[in-house]
Amino acid sequence: MAVHTLGWLAVLALVAGVATAFGYAPREVVQGNVQRIMYLHVPAVLTAYLAFGLVFLGSVGYLLTRRPGWDRLALAAAEPGVIFTGITIASGSIWGKPTWGTWWTWDARLTSVAILFVMYLGYLLLRGMIDDQERAARYCAVLGIVAALDVPLVHFSVYWWRTLHQPPSVLKPGAATMPPAILAALLVNVVAFTLLYFYFVAKRVRLLRAESEALA
Amino acid sequence: MADHWNFVAAAYGLAVVVLGGYWRRLVRKERELAALRRRA
Repeated sequence: MAVHTLGWLAVLALVAGVATAFGYAPREVVQGNVQRIMYLHVPAVLTAYLAFGLVFLGSVGYLLTRRPGWDRLALAAAEPGVIFTGITIASGSIWGKPTWGTWWTWDARLTSVAILFVMYLGYLLLRGMIDDQERAARYCAVLGIVAALDVPLVHFSVYWWRTLHQPPSVLKPGAATMPPAILAALLVNVVAFTLLYFYFVAKRVRLLRAESEALA
Repeated sequence: MADHWNFVAAAYGLAVVVLGGYWRRLVRKERELAALRRRA
């Protein structure tokens, strides 16, 4: 029941997110309306950060305790995390074409996100490749921890290297460098994506528990 | 700069398809498990 409620909350928040992104936030002066992709791109990457933080937590928890609940959390967190990373890459590429003049460039931010995506895709593949559940959980926990180390690299890459990608406008020291209306619309969408993510995780954890009960 | 609404539609459309697809996959799995439980 709680999962169902969370789902409806996510739907309401997503409707509010779309309304603020297209109805409340003003047209950006330099980029025009194509900048509205930001209300999808930035919440997607922040949700991916959250996802891989949870994978890290679940993986460490599993290696320390060997309780299957931690492993289920890590797997349930990773799946939508890969999806949100994919959306980040695709929306960034679509945004990049009209603004940068290219779909893709091998700059530090884009490359580190691509590596993150491939590592967690590998995480999901590895899980499917090993039949022994305990061994799969152990190997995946190690990979989940190693791959999470790429998250700070992704975030700080724009400071450490010269990149085409702009530095962060939020999640940085000091105040956000954007007009209040744009920031408000962005925050509504961040909340909506976070709710949707937790809905997916809760649903997936419930499914994984039911699957293991059915197999037992 | 031109508005490039087609790029905006492509980005949001893709997100809807991918997220909707994942949600449908979870719902389908849930139904399959429920059916399996009923049979057991």
